[in-house]
Amino acid sequence: MHVHEDPDVESAELAVRLIGGDREALAEMYRRWSPLVHTIALRALGTREDAEDVVQQVFVAAWRGRATLRPDRGSPAAWLVGITKHRVADVRTQRYRTHRNLQALASEVVTEPTTTHDSDWAERLLLVHELERMGDPRATVLRMAFIEDRTHDDIARTLEMPLGTVKSHVRRGLLELRDRLKEVERVASD
Amino acid sequence: MSHPTDDDLVDLALGEKVEADRSAHVEQCAVCSASVEQLRRTLRLASGPLAHAGWQAPDDAVWARVAAQIDAEPDTPADAGPAPATVAGPDTGPATTPAETSQPRDERPSGTDADDRPGRPANPTGPPATAGTAYAPEPVPADATVRPITAASARATRRRAAAWGAALVAASLVVGLLAGRAIWAPDDSGRVSQVALETLDTRQREGEASVVRAGDGLDLSVVTDRPLDAGDGYLEVWLINTDGKRMVSVGVLRPGESDTFPISQDLIDQGYVVVDVSKEQFDDKPAHSGDSLLRGQLPA
Repeated sequence: MHVHEDPDVESAELAVRLIGGDREALAEMYRRWSPLVHTIALRALGTREDAEDVVQQVFVAAWRGRATLRPDRGSPAAWLVGITKHRVADVRTQRYRTHRNLQALASEVVTEPTTTHDSDWAERLLLVHELERMGDPRATVLRMAFIEDRTHDDIARTLEMPLGTVKSHVRRGLLELRDRLKEVERVASD
Repeated sequence: MSHPTDDDLVDLALGEKVEADRSAHVEQCAVCSASVEQLRRTLRLASGPLAHAGWQAPDDAVWARVAAQIDAEPDTPADAGPAPATVAGPDTGPATTPAETSQPRDERPSGTDADDRPGRPANPTGPPATAGTAYAPEPVPADATVRPITAASARATRRRAAAWGAALVAASLVVGLLAGRAIWAPDDSGRVSQVALETLDTRQREGEASVVRAGDGLDLSVVTDRPLDAGDGYLEVWLINTDGKRMVSVGVLRPGESDTFPISQDLIDQGYVVVDVSKEQFDDKPAHSGDSLLRGQLPA
């Protein structure tokens, strides 16, 4: 596997290749992001079968709708998550329609503890993914700032980094994550 | 005044001190306050408690289903550029000829392609590689989805389908759609249907498969025009479902010979009509190797 320095550049390349009809780009996107899509779907739907069906639908939809991908909006991950939200919603609608079907009801009940009706799950998991994907030191700075809720001063001391650098990472990082969510919204609201 | 910078908006969202005139502007400005709210939401979502137990990769077979579904339908989005079947992508450098990407042959020259295709992976039955990420593919649970199938267990089929994904990716680069020109020819010999078997890359006709009535059942007869090269391995004949999700192995084809395999009307009726001859290794892996030599779809 070839290695690129900048994951964003590589993601944009992938997007361009996909739009151009390159099947291998879809395969590469699947290798990278099917765990993200699957985890979101599994979390939302509770059963592996449904989650895998969603994964299938998402990547088929990604192929068919590749013209709607916008390479300038950053990583295609957000675009895929937007599509995932659509498909998950479809499955849920279908489930409610077949609510009288006892089996469906039973599976909903059984899986309740692992599913969530928090509509933000997809976004949360996307952000986890983006933080993992982000290079250091920014990823570490953001984790300390957002998740561990540490002050910028504290982070600067711990990482032996100028305070201005910490602030800059936090700002750029938050803006970047915000852009990902905007992209999800754009696709999911179609 | 003009809108504050993104940095100011971030600082406001983070609750940092911002110059008074700027925060006053944001309070008055719908665009800026929406922007700050968006940043706050991002912050909440990124920092909220998340019982995240790790990434869970889908079963390997899912990719095969994706690839098969795409292959099974005509694909001509108006604005999607040239199809990969005929033209190499705009950014892949020198055009790749079918001969260069010919997948099933071992003598394929190496180094013709900068980013190597997964057509012949080192471990063809393994999960799709998760490049550059920390995803740990998790084992398939024992209660993995069972899809009804006639001639093989669903588990085995899923495993086979996994390898199939690699084959489809490779094949679709040059072919796009399933090869196979069908001939409908019921005749005296009890032949129900037949199809030319063609190479996936160049669509060279190299054999023929036919369904022949045999007593109260059906036989699948496979004849190759010249001996196929099985290398160190062997040749296996498969029937692939048109749904692209399922396949069954119908038997081992001895190189250089024709062979007949018992099949059932049931299989045909269920859509197992794509005849595929693959090259397999003696590796204890029951799955399709992903290395298809010939293929053809029987007429309905």
